[in-house]
Amino acid sequence: MFQVALLILGVSMVGIGVMRGEADLVLGKAIRLCLECVGIG
Amino acid sequence: MDNKNIVKNTDNNLNKKSKLLARFRGGIQAAATLVSNINLPNFVKGGIYQGSGKAVCVPGLNCYSCPAASGACPIGSFQAVVGSSKFSFSYYITGFLILMGVLLGRFICGFLCPFGWLQDLLHKIPGPKFSTEKLRALTYVKYVVLVLTVVLLPVLVVNDVGMGDPFFCKYICPQGVLEGAIPLSAVNSGIRAALGTLFTRKMIILAAVIILGVLFYRPFCKWICPLGAFYGLMNRVSLLGIKVNEHRCVSCGKCAKACKMDVDVTRSPNSAECIRCGKCVSACPTDAVSFSYGFAKDTKDIKEIKES
Amino acid sequence: MKTTIKKMLTIMLAAFMVLSLAACGTKTSDNGSGDPQNMDEAVEMYKKLMDQENEILSQNKELWEKVFMAANKRDMTLQEDGKNYGDFLLDTIEFAKDDFTDKEYKILKEGAEKIKELEDQLAALEEKFPGVGEKANGNTSGTQSVPADSVNSQKFPAFDGKTLDGKKVDGEKLFSGNKVTVVNFWFTTCKPCVGELGYLEKLNSKLAKQGGEVIGINSYTLDGDKTTIKEAKELLAKKGVTYKNVWFKSDSEAGKFTEGIYSFPTTYVVDQNGNIVGDPIVGGITSAEQKEALSKLIDKAMKNSN
Repeated sequence: MFQVALLILGVSMVGIGVMRGEADLVLGKAIRLCLECVGIG
Repeated sequence: MDNKNIVKNTDNNLNKKSKLLARFRGGIQAAATLVSNINLPNFVKGGIYQGSGKAVCVPGLNCYSCPAASGACPIGSFQAVVGSSKFSFSYYITGFLILMGVLLGRFICGFLCPFGWLQDLLHKIPGPKFSTEKLRALTYVKYVVLVLTVVLLPVLVVNDVGMGDPFFCKYICPQGVLEGAIPLSAVNSGIRAALGTLFTRKMIILAAVIILGVLFYRPFCKWICPLGAFYGLMNRVSLLGIKVNEHRCVSCGKCAKACKMDVDVTRSPNSAECIRCGKCVSACPTDAVSFSYGFAKDTKDIKEIKES
Repeated sequence: MKTTIKKMLTIMLAAFMVLSLAACGTKTSDNGSGDPQNMDEAVEMYKKLMDQENEILSQNKELWEKVFMAANKRDMTLQEDGKNYGDFLLDTIEFAKDDFTDKEYKILKEGAEKIKELEDQLAALEEKFPGVGEKANGNTSGTQSVPADSVNSQKFPAFDGKTLDGKKVDGEKLFSGNKVTVVNFWFTTCKPCVGELGYLEKLNSKLAKQGGEVIGINSYTLDGDKTTIKEAKELLAKKGVTYKNVWFKSDSEAGKFTEGIYSFPTTYVVDQNGNIVGDPIVGGITSAEQKEALSKLIDKAMKNSN
């Protein structure tokens, strides 16, 4: 049933994202404050 | 006879556990806020946590500019990925949101989101209280916020090298001001000097959300939060749901009356507006309303999902 | 009874809101009373005078922005040695008189006159208490990414690195070869950092004529990661940046300094002796105040270098 399908979809999308390098980009942005991005300035 | 008793017992069990869960919601919210912001010394030291925990998102709305933040905000991360010149869609974050949506849905809003907890606390401040029932149309605004400021604008409005602004974070999100900008500028004079018109505008938004939060129940969650919008859409397919036992229900309407999110519990228990706070569970005089967790087991359950 | 309590609480909450909004406005300062007796009081007085100067400039931001642009067009050296900053502003306002309405001209002249007075007071303080300017600038009330030594100016950590093109760069040699070095910390996916690259390139051209330069340090490129260096170079090429961008190892002194910087963009001004001048400028250098703050630091660095 489609709840299982969604779970599988979610997990695989996370996997694809990590392989694409998205997780690294997230980490890079999260540990270096781009001040304008958080509304300072 | 035996079968009926078994069903009755499991129903009783479920209801007992549901009532217990609803009772401890405040404590769970506090704990979740702490876990999402575990690096407390940073508030005094200044600076932010820079460990690799921040490659992972927390489920609620918690800005990664918060000195204590232990993970990344899913909304902020999504915009960071699609706003970069490399990508225009994020599989990583969308996958995470789908996962969270199916596993918990808006239970996250009711139990695990720090900003949701703040609004719960704000509403406890004595003052005039107004109902949002007549303002139901506003609940659609959050979908516009999601599609426009989180998904589209960072991809479409770009500079000469293909970079887009995180529109929601930059122009709207009050959580970033509250737990990022304010604590950081309090201890860092360099950041204080950088505060400008953008900060002033966002302070006004924060002030408005706070004041409205005293007067109405969770206005930000109902009308603005893009994260709540997404999780709300997942409520109907989530493993965590609200179940109404038709045999016990006497149609007294107390559940709908207790619901502060304006949900008609018996008609649509898995509505996109329900944050699974459990007030209906506590209010029901016949123990007919409970949380439920699991896959749709038979045609009856699937029918319920389709109807809600 | 209950309603009055409710009313009081809502009024208090509203007052708190208003106060917190007011708190992010410009600082107000009162005039220093009497003559300073010792260095500490002198530093206090110096800071008060500087605050007043900044207040004047921020009160009519757009007008002063026009004045600075006119100064740029004139391609004047940022400040000639020994000249009062207020005089410099008056000269520029005269030069750009046609750009302003009579009312604006009047406001600017008054402001510049006041600044001239303040600068005279500041110079007098400096004469009486040599080094007070540095102390006033070097003192920060909050934690910085590197703890600031409030008595001595801080040296920019030495580094031994390479440009993105692979040429060797020694930090000490770099600084001592320039009257002033503007060090800009940025990273590749930071939009406001990328947004100010054009401004920094222009600044570099201007400083080159005065014996200074701008260098960039992209936090992603530390440790010489080939992919990030390639991406940074592509980006810099697209934005037409010609000034050096440097990387070094993250476990070096300078590397640790860089890792300690968590808000971007951040710009430091370093003088010929390798000392950091004043406080770093945090955030994109877009507003008139920040450009003003930067040029002041640059002036100071050049003064120190003589």
